[in-house]
Amino acid sequence: MPMRIWKTDTPERLVIERRLHVHKHKLELDRTKCVGCELCSLICPREAITVKVPEKNGSEGPRKPVIDVDEEKCQFCGICNCICPFGAIKVLKDGQPIIPVAESESFPRLLREVVVDVSKCPPGCKECEDACPLGLIKVSVVGPDGRELSLEEAKAYPRPEELKVNVEIDLDGCPGCRLCELKCPEGAIRAVKVIHGSIRINTDLCPEGCKDCVDVCPVPGTLTVGPDGKVVVNEVTCVYCGVCRLVCPVEEAIELTRTYIRHEPIKSGAWNKALEKLTSTVHLTRELVAKSMERGQEVVEKRLGWIIARSGS
Amino acid sequence: MEEPEEIRIGVFVCHCGLNIAGVVDVEEVTEYAKTLPGVVHAEHNPYTCSEPGQKAIKEAIKKYRLNRVVVASCSPRMHEPTFRQVIQEAGLNPYLLEMANIREHCSWCHSHEPREATEKAKDLVRMAVAKARHLRPLKPIEVPVTNRALVIGGGIAGISAALNLAEMGYKVYLVDRYESIGGHMAQLDKTFPTLDCSICIEGPLMVDVARHPNIELITYAEVKEVEGYVGNFKVKVEKKPRYVDESKCTGCGECRDACPIEVPNDWDMFLGVRKAIDVPFDQAVPLVYRIDRDHCIECYKCVEACGPREAIDFSQQPEELTLEVGAIIVATGYDIYLPYDDPRYGYGKYDNVITALEMERLHVAAGPTKGVIRRASDGKVPKSVAFIQCVGSRDVTRFPYCSGICCMYSIKNAVLLKEKHPETEVYILYTDMRTNYKGYEEFYNRAKELGIKFIRIDLEKRQILEDPKTKNLIIRAETEEGKTIELEVEMVVLASAMVPKAGTKDLARVLGLSVGPNGFFMEAHPKLRPIETLVDGIFIAGCCQGPKDIQFSVAQGAAAAVKAAEILSKKALEIEPLVAAVDEVRCRGCGRCEEVCEFGAIKVLEENGRLVARVNEALCKGCGACSVRCPTGAIKVRNFGPEQIRAQAIAAIRR
Ligand SMILES: Cc1cc2nc3c(=O)[nH]c(=O)nc-3n(C[C@H](O)[C@H](O)[C@H](O)COP(=O)(O)OP(=O)(O)OC[C@H]3O[C@@H](n4cnc5c(N)ncnc54)[C@H](O)[C@@H]3O)c2cc1C
Ligand code: SF4
Repeated sequence: MPMRIWKTDTPERLVIERRLHVHKHKLELDRTKCVGCELCSLICPREAITVKVPEKNGSEGPRKPVIDVDEEKCQFCGICNCICPFGAIKVLKDGQPIIPVAESESFPRLLREVVVDVSKCPPGCKECEDACPLGLIKVSVVGPDGRELSLEEAKAYPRPEELKVNVEIDLDGCPGCRLCELKCPEGAIRAVKVIHGSIRINTDLCPEGCKDCVDVCPVPGTLTVGPDGKVVVNEVTCVYCGVCRLVCPVEEAIELTRTYIRHEPIKSGAWNKALEKLTSTVHLTRELVAKSMERGQEVVEKRLGWIIARSGS
Repeated sequence: MEEPEEIRIGVFVCHCGLNIAGVVDVEEVTEYAKTLPGVVHAEHNPYTCSEPGQKAIKEAIKKYRLNRVVVASCSPRMHEPTFRQVIQEAGLNPYLLEMANIREHCSWCHSHEPREATEKAKDLVRMAVAKARHLRPLKPIEVPVTNRALVIGGGIAGISAALNLAEMGYKVYLVDRYESIGGHMAQLDKTFPTLDCSICIEGPLMVDVARHPNIELITYAEVKEVEGYVGNFKVKVEKKPRYVDESKCTGCGECRDACPIEVPNDWDMFLGVRKAIDVPFDQAVPLVYRIDRDHCIECYKCVEACGPREAIDFSQQPEELTLEVGAIIVATGYDIYLPYDDPRYGYGKYDNVITALEMERLHVAAGPTKGVIRRASDGKVPKSVAFIQCVGSRDVTRFPYCSGICCMYSIKNAVLLKEKHPETEVYILYTDMRTNYKGYEEFYNRAKELGIKFIRIDLEKRQILEDPKTKNLIIRAETEEGKTIELEVEMVVLASAMVPKAGTKDLARVLGLSVGPNGFFMEAHPKLRPIETLVDGIFIAGCCQGPKDIQFSVAQGAAAAVKAAEILSKKALEIEPLVAAVDEVRCRGCGRCEEVCEFGAIKVLEENGRLVARVNEALCKGCGACSVRCPTGAIKVRNFGPEQIRAQAIAAIRR
């Protein structure tokens, strides 16, 4: 069978499938998880991913950017799968989820970390579950007989020390906004941000009454409209996905820099390139220097030397 | 510069059997010729080109002291060299010959009007005589020969040509556009009619090419520009970057294992995948990896894997080489037609419809299915397979010619299938079976004995439909008698046409060759000069000339080598002096001739403080464009100058 490529695009999911006689490659974008940030599009090595920000028209409502993938360009390498903070993209080969670039250590998986000390959890509390804006946490309580109890039952249970609390977290989609940690009344949770950075909004530049950034931010409470009508940032929960900057109608009103991305240790040119695009050359060099003084310089030289050679031709 | 000598012209009118004499009154033409100014003798002969005819010319030259000869016979294309030779042997300068074409231009095209034909023949003879009066003796031009050859295309035809030339002692550059030599033959499983393993018999030859001290292999390269002429071509070749240093790569393949990127494999007709750093097949020659930079993500895992060998070089740039050669052999092969545009076959739409070349890749043990024939839809071995013949071929709306080898390759693939999976029902739906040549008919019989069913169907009335549930295919076709038949099979293999290689037209432009109506390179003569082209010193071999099988491709490759050696073996070549010449006194060096010359044969140079046009006689084709453009009449084509042409033109209108 000659190669065939399909694309199915619905409001819920975008699927690209490439069928060869002996293999099927698939890319699935779960639009319900995708927040419309631009991370994948920034680092796709084939520039197959584009983000479209809906036009600002009079009517209200969030202008969530829409991701599109060019089926002719996608090569199912899985870099987008690795980088998506929200776990919205999956790559499959012959029906099996696989991230080729991660298997070969050509690209790191993000390090996501949410640690719960369940011994501190009062049975019946599900503050974290409620706090998670992405619905990734599931709290359950099991009685001594192994039966699962409803939260009301658990609260009313006479001997709470006999109960066992389970907190299941779907880490694959967790960008580490820390809302669970902040909301936990017992201090039982420690969540670590995947992407570190800084964000500043120059509210002087904001158009009158515009709150587009607030509307699209995936973490509630990170961006709010203050009593004076100006947008206020709460950096504690910001995941630096950048969707706010993407929809902002004014250039340079939002200053967002990513400084560090938590990832599996790796030596790879592709990651260096991605890091340079996601953060900056400064931060790339910092990481490389940290890894190994010597090796870092060698790679930068190689990269830069080669860029110079290319731009010269 | 009028010659003081007396002009004594002899006219020889040819019957060409009845070809001319059956229409034209040759007697009358001869008598008429005698009346023309300058003619001292005229005669007619049954076959002027025959031994007695040639003798008659020689004798007449002596007897009548002729110093110009006009032969009224056929087109100069074939026999001008013959007659030039004849008059030279009789002591005349060979360029004092003029021909009047009274066959192609007269008797053949006016076969129903003998009277008018005779008058036209007289006109043609009168014109030739008028021109002959102004002919000047000329000396052929001698050019030195570079005794190296270029072979373009390293399929089996190109390999055959290169090895033969190298064995004769000539240095050969073999340029292939692809990463490896081998061509289509390296993609095939077994070859008809002997069922030899294709790569097992071609592989050793590919290795011989790589090892031969006289062959320089230049792969992954394109011929960009060709300048010059027979014996002295200058060829610009661009080597595309592989990003792997050929001299350092050991072909170990560790980089491939480290590379994360899978790319649909062109070598496997996109049935499977290859890595972004890879070789197309394990027996590739040269065995040098290449990075597909379109897909590479630059992770440098390959660099790590390559380690101290340091063969990987991301900074590689395209490299331009200039080759100087005396002869060029083109062996660029063919492409297989992919029938996406023919809705009758459902190719690209139905999972289980494939082309024959895809079938070859499924048969190959090192192929994407390890030699097991599997359907794409469910990975199962099909219980029934139909081969459909003449897909694209013999179709007036697509490729009107017969591809010649599809009957044989379908029988071969059917036999191989039957041998692998005896329980599979195999059908061949054909319109005409073409199994000429040694051992082919026997092979056909063997297929019938194996129980392969041959069903004759109409060339046009055929349609494939898919059962959406089982993904089986329903073939509806009409038999010769007009009866509709319906056949359900699990897999269909299309015997699609051999078509001209992509880029044939561009290469033809670069080389100055012509392509025929079907898009293949055109030979100088379909029967007598099948290897030569109309450009001296450039030859064609293999499927770039037209569809053929391996044995004929090999034979043509060897033949082209001999033809090229004919040139390379000479120290110098004589070329026609019928080219432009500059009268230096009249030339003002304005450069208009240089502007119009399509062949880059003229350059205006500064000499002794003044500008003057200079002609590279070896490049000049004698077209005369410069002569028309020259404001002072300083540049003229020898023996085709204003004086000759004017005389001929005046003779045409004045009886
Ligand atoms: C399905 C199938 C099965 C077949 N089975 C058989 C069989 O069993 N027995 C048999 O005798 N024949 C068989 N044939 C026919 C056989 O493939 C051909 O006869 C043979 O391969 C022709 O060789 P070639 O060298 O002329 O062309 P190719 O094999 O096409 O080689 C051409 C070479 O030129 C190179 N090239 C092309 N363009 C350029 C360019 N512009 N510059 C530089 N290089 C260029 C290509 O990369 C290639 O390496 C089969 C054909 C098909 C389609
Ligand atoms: S650098 Fe490119 S070719 Fe090398 S391993 Fe990585 S993706 Fe493959």
